[in-house]
Amino acid sequence: MAETLFLKSKVTADITHYDFPILRKVLQMDKEDVIAEVKTSGLKGRGGAGFPTGLKWELALKEPGDEKYIICNADEGEPGTFKDRFLLENTPLQVLEGIIIAGYAIGAKKGYIYIRGEYAKAINIFMDAIHLAKEENILGEKILGSNFNFDIQLVKGGGAYVCGDETSLINSIEGKRGISRMTPPYPIQKGLFDKPSVVNNVETLTAAAEILSKGGNKYASMGTEKSKGTKLVCLSGDVKEPGVYEVEFGKMTLREIIDEFGKGVNGKLKFIIPGGVSTAILAEEQLDIPYTYEDIAENGSGLGSGAIIVVSEGHELLDLLINVSIFFMDETCGTCFPCREGNKQVYHMLKDAAKKGGFTAEEIQLIKDLGKNMYLVARCGLGQTSLCFICSILEKYEEELLVRG
Amino acid sequence: MNDGRLMEKLHNVQMTYGYIPESEIEKLAEEYGMTKTKVYGVISFYSMFHTEPTGKYIIRVCNSISCHLNRSGDMVEAIKDYLGVESGQTTEDKRFTLEVVECLGHCGEGPVMMVNDKIYTHVGKTAALKILKECL
Repeated sequence: MAETLFLKSKVTADITHYDFPILRKVLQMDKEDVIAEVKTSGLKGRGGAGFPTGLKWELALKEPGDEKYIICNADEGEPGTFKDRFLLENTPLQVLEGIIIAGYAIGAKKGYIYIRGEYAKAINIFMDAIHLAKEENILGEKILGSNFNFDIQLVKGGGAYVCGDETSLINSIEGKRGISRMTPPYPIQKGLFDKPSVVNNVETLTAAAEILSKGGNKYASMGTEKSKGTKLVCLSGDVKEPGVYEVEFGKMTLREIIDEFGKGVNGKLKFIIPGGVSTAILAEEQLDIPYTYEDIAENGSGLGSGAIIVVSEGHELLDLLINVSIFFMDETCGTCFPCREGNKQVYHMLKDAAKKGGFTAEEIQLIKDLGKNMYLVARCGLGQTSLCFICSILEKYEEELLVRG
Repeated sequence: MNDGRLMEKLHNVQMTYGYIPESEIEKLAEEYGMTKTKVYGVISFYSMFHTEPTGKYIIRVCNSISCHLNRSGDMVEAIKDYLGVESGQTTEDKRFTLEVVECLGHCGEGPVMMVNDKIYTHVGKTAALKILKECL
């Protein structure tokens, strides 16, 4: 099966060959109509949380006040995810167009794009795009002859995974430590500089621009009832041809994605991580399900950021658990107790298990309890999901992990 | 007045000096009406900022799950052996600072290492050492 090329249909970084046709069209439309089109499309946030984009824009537009912000979240840090980098490096003008369109729709005059500091190439490409867009009056006063004024500031991250959480990201733009905020109030009500703010992922904004080009109905005609349109998946791990592939929801099973796009597995497949290390694993026998939000959720996981990490037999499970545990222990912002202490304690238990060659049943139960606790009480999504991978491995491979003798 | 540019200024200072010296922290504190402690608190939160001089080359190696599955651990060990430093340390000749970091976003091309701003993909043990030797 071939890729469904929707987001990947245009690859242009050359501003002299792109005249922002979608933005031109949108600037002739009413804000409400722009939002209605996105609502029709059924687009959900592609960063991992999956909140309906049109609804987010509508809520932000309805918030009182003149000063609002659109923020593009390009702090892609979920291990296994590299789709936003792909878009920033290959289709920066469409990303830019998406940000300006979202800004127009919600009534913002200023936008931010927060790109993780490690993405040096993407940052340079996007800096150039902003610079050229200013020269071409794509940004600035009275854009393209309209009455819409809009400017974008690029913020370079400092190397903190947690800034992918929208409230942490907002704190970071404000020049603070990138720690999460208590919600509510949500950023839509009280975000950047306490003003109504919409935070959208790079892929979401790019998709929104394409939706306004081709129509909400066209987008909604792809996919399933609950998962509309397409998704960029990032294949990595023990797969023959890793990369970013665009998949129409419901058209392919997970196994087909791995076999047809990824050209098969290096070794014998054991399990996959379907949405980055914040999601629970799916075992080999669970892969014949369509790639949709609902089917993956029914199987106890989530499609998260779209990072499909393939793991074959032959890796030490404990070694993988410790690797992921170190990640979360290092990257917790340290503000809320369950995430900070939970991840640290789990790390010590894993190290201990590695030393003695496995867990006792009580230890496994304890980690699972911690996982449940953190899911319920951690302050942000990153903390809540930080033990999903570890607990799912313990759940599915308990026999393998119990201490022998 | 918060102009949302403190991060940018910290990056700029670091680009100029190679790290963020106390004198600059003082200036930024004054400019933003923050205490020095607060500015230091911001700096220390982000792994890319340094308050001590670093090596001429910052070597960032990824050991997150996708790279790890592709044996990045071997590469990391080889680099540590060769440089004689652990993650976060700088070599005595001040040439290299080694940082084992979280995901560099090239998960399909692992193992991955970064030398200052440049990315190298599919880096095995031998390739890693060759890249380091080319810096000398």
